[in-house]
Amino acid sequence: MPRVNTGQIISGTAHLAVIGWVFFGGVLQSDPPQVEVVEAVAVSSEEYAAIMARQSAPEAAADVDTPEPPEAGEAAPALSSGTDAAPEVNRPEVSDTPPPDARPEAPERPAPAPTDVTDTPPALTAPSEDTAALVPETSLRPQPRPAPRVAPEPVAPSEPDVRVDDVARPEVAPEEGADAVEDQQEATAPEEATTEIVTEAERPETPVPTASVRPRARPTRLAEAEADTETATAPPEPTPPEPTPPDTDRDAVSDALAAALGQDSAPAERRPSGPPLSAGEKDALRVAVQQCWNVGSLSSDALATTVVVAVSMAETGKPEMSSIRMLSHTGGSASAAQQAYEAARRAIIRCGADGFDLPQEKYAQWRDIEMTFNPEKMRIK
Amino acid sequence: MIRSFLTLLAALTFWAMPATAQENSGPLRLEITEGVIEPMPFAVPDLVAESAQARDLATRIARVIAADLSGTGLFREIPAEAHIGRITNFDSPVQFADWRAINAQALVTGAVSLDGAGRVVVKFRIHDVFAGQELGRGQQLVGEEDGWRRIAHKVADQVYSRITGEGGYFDSRVVFVSESGPKGERAKRLAIVDYDGANLRYLTDASTIVLAPRFSPTGDRVLYTSYETGFPRIYLLDVADVGRRALPTLDGTMSFAPRFSPDGRTVLYSLTQGGNTDLYTMDIASGASVRLTNAPSIETAPSYSPDGSRIVFESDRSGSPQLYIMEARGGEAQRISFGRGRYGTPVWSPRGDLVAFTKQAEGRFHIGVMRTDGSEERLLTASFLDEGPTWAPNGRVIMFTRETRGEQGEARLYTVDITGRNLRQVPTNGGASDPSWGPLQE
Repeated sequence: MPRVNTGQIISGTAHLAVIGWVFFGGVLQSDPPQVEVVEAVAVSSEEYAAIMARQSAPEAAADVDTPEPPEAGEAAPALSSGTDAAPEVNRPEVSDTPPPDARPEAPERPAPAPTDVTDTPPALTAPSEDTAALVPETSLRPQPRPAPRVAPEPVAPSEPDVRVDDVARPEVAPEEGADAVEDQQEATAPEEATTEIVTEAERPETPVPTASVRPRARPTRLAEAEADTETATAPPEPTPPEPTPPDTDRDAVSDALAAALGQDSAPAERRPSGPPLSAGEKDALRVAVQQCWNVGSLSSDALATTVVVAVSMAETGKPEMSSIRMLSHTGGSASAAQQAYEAARRAIIRCGADGFDLPQEKYAQWRDIEMTFNPEKMRIK
Repeated sequence: MIRSFLTLLAALTFWAMPATAQENSGPLRLEITEGVIEPMPFAVPDLVAESAQARDLATRIARVIAADLSGTGLFREIPAEAHIGRITNFDSPVQFADWRAINAQALVTGAVSLDGAGRVVVKFRIHDVFAGQELGRGQQLVGEEDGWRRIAHKVADQVYSRITGEGGYFDSRVVFVSESGPKGERAKRLAIVDYDGANLRYLTDASTIVLAPRFSPTGDRVLYTSYETGFPRIYLLDVADVGRRALPTLDGTMSFAPRFSPDGRTVLYSLTQGGNTDLYTMDIASGASVRLTNAPSIETAPSYSPDGSRIVFESDRSGSPQLYIMEARGGEAQRISFGRGRYGTPVWSPRGDLVAFTKQAEGRFHIGVMRTDGSEERLLTASFLDEGPTWAPNGRVIMFTRETRGEQGEARLYTVDITGRNLRQVPTNGGASDPSWGPLQE
């Protein structure tokens, strides 16, 4: 017989209690929902309209918290149709005539020699025939504005490649016995100054010639060349040097060019220069000579000989016959070289009889020509 | 600031253009690599006749000079009708402007006189018109009156040589086979003419067939092949007295294709014995022969190099006729022709740089030249039948035989420049073949 334990008894009792509460406690009974009763009143159309009108209009608040009005302060600024006043800026004081700058002290530098500057434009000196100008004929190089200062005494133009510093610093010199190595500092150059104010209207004409004189043809003999050189370099008359207006920009360019070419900037040593011949101009000259270079009568030995022929040209573009000479030859005997040279000479003379079409302004570039006549393509194949 | 900027700009500009700076430092340099190839215009006015008897001679000599130069194809004569200037005195200065005006680049002036002993005296000068100067120095030639053509040729040779740098060839002669009669029964005999066809003279009669005459280096003798005995045999002929003799040979053999050695003492020829043809040399004085080749193939048409050290010849040892070179004393031969076709009759240039040959290819015959190593082969002519080249003394011109097609076809002599230009027929009296160009006459 199974044994009923205490847990089963407790569980049975609890279940009975719950069942009884459900049946007798009214858990399973439901109350009917309460219905809201509204009383209906009949109204006329006017009353309905009046009711609807009241519902659409917002209700005005009876009590509204109004802010306190501001206290009366400063009066509003008066309006004006004028332009706004310019903002105040810190402008440098303008003085009509600035006080002359004090000459900076440069104890280590020698004092520049005073230069006499006159108000009259300098007299133009006729350039020598061998002088070539770098300045074009038509356009003038813009010149810098004159310094609006007047120096108490003439000051020589400053050295190029230095700048004006705000602070004057003495030139650094190595101190004897000093162990420390100091950084090299640039010396301060004195500011440019002039002894007078020259307006554009008073500016003198430029001394640059409007057209360069053609250099003379190369002399045929060394003695003549030396004689010409002496003549060209010797001054015709011991006239005092005319003061020339400073052209610092041109000098700077010239110095830079000379430095780049490793030459001195002495004007006497400058070669006649000008724009080089373009490739088209060279080709035109080459074609002109080729048209007269007839190798049809040359021997096969001469056709294997390359000759280099030098010729000096006149300004008219005509070759100077006496200047034609063979500089060298390769590839053949002396006899063959002579035949090849004569054919080349005929070509130069024949086609240059009326003058080669060469640019006059570049005469310095084609005054002396070396032509290499290479018949390699003309040989018998 | 502006100065600094300009300084920097200038420095940079010249740093970037060093070439331009260099160009400015010297003369303008040009290289001319292409020219024109055209005859040089020249003028030869009538020579100044220094006596009334020499007037006709002065004109004829001038015409021969002009014809010689024009015939080269390297010169073009400006006719007398176009002349502006007149040469009335041999020693008077030349007015070069008159000759420049007609674009005469070379001018030949001269004078003729008779010395009373039947001799002609010719003086001449060569001028570079555009340079306005004389080329070389004036010269004087003296000769027999009936030899005035030779004097004219010599003047032309001097002009040609002075302007071109090459030796002349006008005062030379050609020996050839003169042909007459129908094609199947042609009579052949040796003849000799000036290079321009003048002064024709027969050396043999037409009683027998003669072939392949060859001048001696000095031009006083001629080797040729004759069928006088029924078999081809080599004969030596003296040009001056037309005396001849047969060179020794073995009975039952055929000897042909003779050629002098450069020293004129040895004959190089082909000998057929027992059906095989090989090359031999023979000492003319002693008649002793030396065999140079010993091959079952046909070796023929030998030619010495100018220095006599090598021989170029034709051989079919490779299956078809080709050109070979070997040492003059025989030995291993080296083939130099490798083109398509058959090569034959090689002749070494007097300059030693080229070999002229006959080539048959694709039904046509050509005269061509090639380097002695076989390179740079160039064909100069082409026709139905071109064969038998021979060199001018200066190595610039080749003469050969051209035969036309058909029953009425005839052989003629032609010349051509080694450039392949200026093909010209040599005037001969009737048919002509097998030319051999002799040396310049003394």
